[in-house]
Amino acid sequence: MKLSKIFVATFVFVLTSSLHGQDVLIEAESFDNPGGWTVDPQFEQQMGSPYLLAHGIGEPVKNATTKVKFESNGEYHVWVRTKNWVPGNWEAPGRFQLKVDGNTLDKMLGLRSGWGWEYVDKISVTDHQIDVALVDVTGFDGRCDAIYFSTKNEEPPSSSKKLTEWRKRVKSEPNAPPVTKSYDLVVVGGGLAGCAASIAAAEQGLKVALIHDRPVLGGNASEEIRVHTLGIYGNFERILKKIDTEHYPNGSAEAKLDQKKRDDNVKSYENIDLFLNHRAYDAKAEDSSIQYVDARHTSTGQRIRFMAPRFVDSTGDGWIGYWAGAEFNYGRESAETYGEVWEEHGELWTPTEPDDAVMGSSVLWGSKETDTEHTFPEVPWAMPVAKEYARVAGEWQWEFSSPDHNQIDDAEDIRDHMLRAIYGSFANAKKDSTNANRKLEWVSSLVGKRESRRLVGDHIFTFNDAKEGRKFPDGVVIEIRDVDIHYQTVLEDEKNPDFISEALFYKTPEYYIPYRSLYSKNISNLFMAGRNFSCSHAGLGGPRVMRTTGQMGAAVGFAAALCKKYDVNPREIYTGYLDEYLDLIEKQKFENIPESKK
Amino acid sequence: MRIVFSIAIMGFLLLGNKPTEKPMDHPPEYFVLEWKEGTQLTPERTDFFIEVDSMGKQDVLALVNERKVPVLYTAEIATPVCADGECKLMNIKFYWTLLGEYAGFDRYPMMPLTKHDHDEFGEADYQKLHKLLADDKNLMGRRSIDQLVEKPKMRTVNGVDAVSGATIARVKESVVSGALYSCYTAWHLVHGDIQEQLKAHSLSILDKQMTLDMLYSINPGYQIFAMENMDASDYKKHYEQLAKVFRTSTPLVRSIIAKRLTTKYKDAPVLQEPFWNAFDLIDTSSRSLMMKYLDEAPDYVPEVLSDKLGVMSKNQLKGFLTHLSNSEGLNAETHNNILEFSKSENQTYAFLAQVFLEDFK
Repeated sequence: MKLSKIFVATFVFVLTSSLHGQDVLIEAESFDNPGGWTVDPQFEQQMGSPYLLAHGIGEPVKNATTKVKFESNGEYHVWVRTKNWVPGNWEAPGRFQLKVDGNTLDKMLGLRSGWGWEYVDKISVTDHQIDVALVDVTGFDGRCDAIYFSTKNEEPPSSSKKLTEWRKRVKSEPNAPPVTKSYDLVVVGGGLAGCAASIAAAEQGLKVALIHDRPVLGGNASEEIRVHTLGIYGNFERILKKIDTEHYPNGSAEAKLDQKKRDDNVKSYENIDLFLNHRAYDAKAEDSSIQYVDARHTSTGQRIRFMAPRFVDSTGDGWIGYWAGAEFNYGRESAETYGEVWEEHGELWTPTEPDDAVMGSSVLWGSKETDTEHTFPEVPWAMPVAKEYARVAGEWQWEFSSPDHNQIDDAEDIRDHMLRAIYGSFANAKKDSTNANRKLEWVSSLVGKRESRRLVGDHIFTFNDAKEGRKFPDGVVIEIRDVDIHYQTVLEDEKNPDFISEALFYKTPEYYIPYRSLYSKNISNLFMAGRNFSCSHAGLGGPRVMRTTGQMGAAVGFAAALCKKYDVNPREIYTGYLDEYLDLIEKQKFENIPESKK
Repeated sequence: MRIVFSIAIMGFLLLGNKPTEKPMDHPPEYFVLEWKEGTQLTPERTDFFIEVDSMGKQDVLALVNERKVPVLYTAEIATPVCADGECKLMNIKFYWTLLGEYAGFDRYPMMPLTKHDHDEFGEADYQKLHKLLADDKNLMGRRSIDQLVEKPKMRTVNGVDAVSGATIARVKESVVSGALYSCYTAWHLVHGDIQEQLKAHSLSILDKQMTLDMLYSINPGYQIFAMENMDASDYKKHYEQLAKVFRTSTPLVRSIIAKRLTTKYKDAPVLQEPFWNAFDLIDTSSRSLMMKYLDEAPDYVPEVLSDKLGVMSKNQLKGFLTHLSNSEGLNAETHNNILEFSKSENQTYAFLAQVFLEDFK
């Protein structure tokens, strides 16, 4: 693994130097050894690249190190692409320095407002190679995207559009990935929905690629985010029990036990090719049919093109549909649009006029009592968010959504807002002497999203479908869980913290989600499963929990098998093969008795 | 034995609580609304009542103003509160708004509320109860009393078996310590079926003046209700009050007004002015909502906002400058305000203004 990273760094160097003489670009996520820094690819679509994050929850992390090779010795100007994640009248929280051949350069980094380049210094390269290290100073989420060495004193571009072009040029990267792989089904997003879709399709003999941008599976249920799975198993108990969680408190370290179960189970399927740490970055449709999905390794940058007759978008944010041109919705429909009125909660449930409000994202966290006293640094940059709020742990109510933030475009700001809320609230709690021995134990660095893009299918599932328990001939997902919609408590009282939500629960009868909500209306070979399925804002309130989204995944996995059998697209399963599809779902509920035991 | 005794005295106490016909000239002791000086409300009988276990029906009265129109509803309640086989009587006078929401309560000085250990409620406890009753979404609305208590563990305390469990964490913060059962009983009396009945009654006699009274109240529920029931001419006639509501009410109320600003006052741009002028006086989320309607806003708005750049978030500033980039021309005052802002060393996002001015050249 280490060797391959060195190869890539060298590869980038060689191509770069061949075109630009003396310029070398090092992507931070490709460092030989990230040390205590973590690769954060969550915001690649917004800021241009995965980056290294010094998420030390208040204690500086170990250095990230790498070797950089140069074709020519000489004097090089050095820039680092970074940002101050909380600009203001205080010392930047995420400060770090660069160390070259053992010497720490004076320039403090992580100071500029907004992603861009900070000039570090001019260095001498005398032996065609240097050792570079990122030295975290604060432990509070410093971030480094890339380091650029150039014999010319010309700062690289900062604007996102120009930067993308510049990166391509510097890396001499051709448009098409160098490797193409073909499958029966390509599933993008390894949350519960994507895992279930992959398992269901694989059990029916399909060759499946499962692409996921994290090192572990499960999305919001993973040990990295730690939300427990809710909802019922419906028709898919056997499959969902392979990947769900116990009902531990949200944020509990017990999530690690279910992580192993999930990863082991998915990996046990020989015909699932699992591409962990790969993030999709493009999908191309022709004649309303997706031809391929391109993905990039989040550390090495190696790219692969995935081709298949059919695709599953279980990315949560509906990225595949978005790139392919699928219709989608974002925000709240008016109460009139689908008649989704609940008078008791009025505007909080569905507004008179439509708007862009959605349920927010959570960042879970916790602390622990210890035998010795622990201090926690002053965090003045967190206080404008946390204010007087004092807590020692955060559950699902730690959630942020505001009209100023789009859950996709502003996801990094949302994560950072939650980090300020957490660090500030914990610092406040530490002022209480009863918390003298308390130590911050874990803070997720991942945004656990509830709602973003909702792709449009042949049926849009609404609150009324749930409320009335509407039966559909193709009702493949079953749920009994209340519909609950979250809102920020600050809406009703400005004194409340803006990062705390409340839930409104509507008790429903058993309800059903039709198969027609699980494939795209206008992209002919695209399934969707997970929170980006076809529904209204209020319709998402119930089935957004993870056993339900897992049911969606399993349902599309089996549909994909029939699509292959008859060489048809998802819609045609409903119009021409519905009975066989429902029979297939019924039959899979139990393990088949082996022929030898019949 | 205790239960029998308690119920025996309840009848006596209830008689002692019989509704008075005297006009009410002061607000309830704990009250969510505004009480205008000189207000006199007269109790009037209604067909509504609350059925209390073992105590029977307890009447709900309307409190009417000089127009004989209800302003509040009230009921004097005597109810048993039972826990661990022991019952006590709780005496309290509740008030509801015209929309059936909790409005407040009066206590009886001679019959204070008590906790499980018989300690009397203190002032802080009454305040906490008031806050709890005003929280219509409290978890206790969806849970039985048993679900609010951690599973009891049999344990021996001073040689006596005690079975009461601790109040669960999510509710503990909102209830009066040691008075979960009283809080639970009170909350469910206030938020029971009576709410819908009272609201339906109010709606059956609703007139324009009642609607406008709601607009001029400080209660967000009233304000929203009024805005839903006002016609286009009311929006114009009462724009100053709406602007006041916009400045002083909750972000939820503001969000509704912000979305209607450019439609309700489409043909009367001058009436929008007090709302845009309040841009720096309101919460940042409401500002973001206003910014979404910039394209439909009157011509004077860019200049108004250019003087308030310092309160804008990064996204708001970006949105504002993008709007200006797409607009024709930039008046001198607006340009000057942006220039001044761009030079400020204390403004985090001054660089966005610098970039804008650079491109603008």
